Amino acid sequence: MSARAGDHGGPILTAHRAGLLGCHRCGRVWPADQVDCRRCNAHLRPPDRHRLQVVWAWWLAGLIAYIPANVFPMMSTQTFAGLAGNSEATILGGVVELMHHGSYDIALIVFVASIIVPVGKFIAIAWLAIVAGRPATSEQAHARLKVYEVVEFIGRWSMIDVFVVAILSALVQLGFVASIHPGPAAVSFALSVAFTMLSAQSFDARLIWRGLPLRSRRDSDDL
Amino acid sequence: MTDTPQPLKPASPVRKTAARAAQAGVNVIWIVPIIALIVTLGIAWNAFRERGTLIEVVFADPTGITPGDTALRFREITVGGVEGVKFTEDLSQVVVSLRVDSDVAQYIDDDAAFWIVRPQVSAQGVTRLDTVLTGAFIEGYWDAEISEPASRFAGLERPPLVRSDQPGTWVTLSMETAEGLSEGAPVLFRGVEVGRLENVRLSEGEDRVLADAFVEAPHDARLTTASVFWDTSGFSLSLGAQGIAFNVNSLSSVLQGGVAFDTIVSGGSVIEPGHEFEVQVDEAAARTTLFATDDANRLRVGMLIEDSLQGLTQGADVQFQGLRVGQVTDLAVNLSEDAEGNPEVRQLVTMAISPRRLGLDEDATADEALALLREEVAQGLRARVASAGFLGTSLMVELVDIPDAEPATIDEETGPNPLIPSVQGDLDDFTASAQGLVERIGNLPIEEVLNSARDTLDSITVLATSQDTRAIPGALRTAIDEGAAALANISSITTELNQANSGETFARLLDEASEAFTAISAAAVDVPEVIDQIDAAAAAVEEFGFAEISLQAEGILADLRAMLGSEDAEQLPRNLSNTLEAATGLLNDLRDGNAVGSLNEALDSASTAADQIAQSVQQLPDLIRRLQATAAGAETLFASYGTRSAFNNELIGALRELRRATESIGSVARLIERNPRAFILGR
Repeated sequence: MSARAGDHGGPILTAHRAGLLGCHRCGRVWPADQVDCRRCNAHLRPPDRHRLQVVWAWWLAGLIAYIPANVFPMMSTQTFAGLAGNSEATILGGVVELMHHGSYDIALIVFVASIIVPVGKFIAIAWLAIVAGRPATSEQAHARLKVYEVVEFIGRWSMIDVFVVAILSALVQLGFVASIHPGPAAVSFALSVAFTMLSAQSFDARLIWRGLPLRSRRDSDDL
Repeated sequence: MTDTPQPLKPASPVRKTAARAAQAGVNVIWIVPIIALIVTLGIAWNAFRERGTLIEVVFADPTGITPGDTALRFREITVGGVEGVKFTEDLSQVVVSLRVDSDVAQYIDDDAAFWIVRPQVSAQGVTRLDTVLTGAFIEGYWDAEISEPASRFAGLERPPLVRSDQPGTWVTLSMETAEGLSEGAPVLFRGVEVGRLENVRLSEGEDRVLADAFVEAPHDARLTTASVFWDTSGFSLSLGAQGIAFNVNSLSSVLQGGVAFDTIVSGGSVIEPGHEFEVQVDEAAARTTLFATDDANRLRVGMLIEDSLQGLTQGADVQFQGLRVGQVTDLAVNLSEDAEGNPEVRQLVTMAISPRRLGLDEDATADEALALLREEVAQGLRARVASAGFLGTSLMVELVDIPDAEPATIDEETGPNPLIPSVQGDLDDFTASAQGLVERIGNLPIEEVLNSARDTLDSITVLATSQDTRAIPGALRTAIDEGAAALANISSITTELNQANSGETFARLLDEASEAFTAISAAAVDVPEVIDQIDAAAAAVEEFGFAEISLQAEGILADLRAMLGSEDAEQLPRNLSNTLEAATGLLNDLRDGNAVGSLNEALDSASTAADQIAQSVQQLPDLIRRLQATAAGAETLFASYGTRSAFNNELIGALRELRRATESIGSVARLIERNPRAFILGR
């Protein structure tokens, strides 16, 4: 169907319009009145903007958790039992410090992984949730799907900061000489990432196709 | 594809979805962001509440303070940190903003103190070396009372030596100079550090130095109004009445000085905080002042003396029976007229005497003390100037009993103070006598004594090594044997005497002896002729083969010597013992022989006899002279025999013995002459 849509630019037949319902777990399509997927026994749910509430809820929780993750220190470094310094760094503070030390590449990695990616994810999910179900051309729908896939993919890598803190805390316990302890921001950041992942998971990608035009339009400029 | 495609239309209108969403109400999932929000808000609220109170402390020298890094500590626990620094308006000082934890912020009121803790090297040692690593921090101190909170403080330049809650007493010390004393100098009580000195400053009015001293509890209980303080700074070397004194306190007090106090006399009252004490130069001065101030009822008396007062100073002791009872308070010249109306210059010594030290009651008045003195003066108490101390260079006043003093009374009319009668001072010229002693020691003939001693020792050595000396024990033993025999004889004689009670007989005997001596004396006149004859005979004898005879005689003498030599000196003690036993027996005989009465009679008669012997003995010297002459003659006679012959030697020895015997008889005679009884009574 999509090949036809691609070939002719005509209206795309979605499962919904075909009176079918796809299983969100195994992908098998059933007649719209089917209640349970007979293949994987999952409950069949029609795509519903109502479900977007869940996305928004997780999204909001992630956003809330992201604030203390940036305000509180990510980890505290104690050298010489606190005699030679007891430094606590927030994410942004750490980035600035790294830049002061001249480690621009590491600063960039940290900045991208800890600031740009989470913030981008929030924006992307929010945008997807807003535009889901809205009328869209098939190109737009494809772009949204792409964004969604990227968000889904990146989600599991967002924990890179938490991993670093966890590994350092475990390894750098040299007693008197130096020790690293995770700060409150590490927990917040982990929660934030988890919430955004759940938010992305809760997004029903089928809603992207809901807003496709009923008939093919030559010019998609009017939207 | 002939069919026109069925128009695509949604199975259910999209618009319905939104409506359904509205109908469906609120999903349970919204609880998650709400919880997250609540938790975050809670954390934020907590963080906000715990960020504490902001206070400002003004420091002149904020060396080592870094905003965000420097901590505020209370009892070494971090209770806050420096948030920022800025200047005061006149740029002269720095205002440090401190964020204090809210749980302690309530205690920070007006009496809170803040200071910067840095490594410090001082006379008290090196402190806070840890801050070299951690960096300086601000230490605060406040008490546990919650009162009106304050927010702006003046920081202290250095840590306070005494914390405000430390129990103890603050007193003010006043001194002439603060030489050697510095901030933080210790306050010592019998060598134990019980406090510290702080805030050394010049007094505003007078030219004195004031310092605050803190004495820790419980030692502050030892402070009374009767306490005295003195300076223990550095070391002191004094040459005074008591000799040379060299005092060094602890190294710390050498470096930074120190004061010590003591409460020597009892009776002081409890002091108020801030009580002002005078710091004396040294301990001796402190004790003197203490004495001067220890009671108000001092008796002031004077004395007039004509001696020079060189060496007598104010504060010199007044001693009574060797105990200090007062001190000299004033020295002055006194002009008066003597009996003839001529002006007379004398020195007036005024002294203060403590009634208590005279042995009177604690609260005795000066009048009571004067009454006591009046009584003592009637019994011969006089004042005089005496030399004191090791070198005798300083003087003191002595109240002494002069047994045969002219009667005098205390003159209570002449001067402002009663005058104690005085006598000539007892000043011994120490220097002169010391010099005399040294001279005498120098004049001792030590070298001669040593020479004599050496000679004597040489002689003794020679004597001890000579054959004759070695022969002494044997001869002694013989002599003792003979003595024992003689004693036995005497014993029998005494017994006879006892039995016969024959004093008269003895006297007659002595008379006869006397006659005999006289005869001998007469006969002795003819001795020279006899000697001449002997001489002639000897010449004749010499013409005979006398050498053979002399050889035989020599052999006999050798035998005799061998016989003497063979006897052990070891037997000597036994013989002595025998002799003593014999003597004891004799004494026992004497005791048992007769009644004491008869013994007395015997002794009386012996005494009489002795007197007669004395008379007769007077003729002895003459006899002795003759005997000596005879001996001398004999010696010359035998000298002619030849010098080398052994016989001659023996003969000369015999003659010497003879002369010695004569001398012995002489000495016996003299003894008898002096004390005839001794001859009989043996004592």
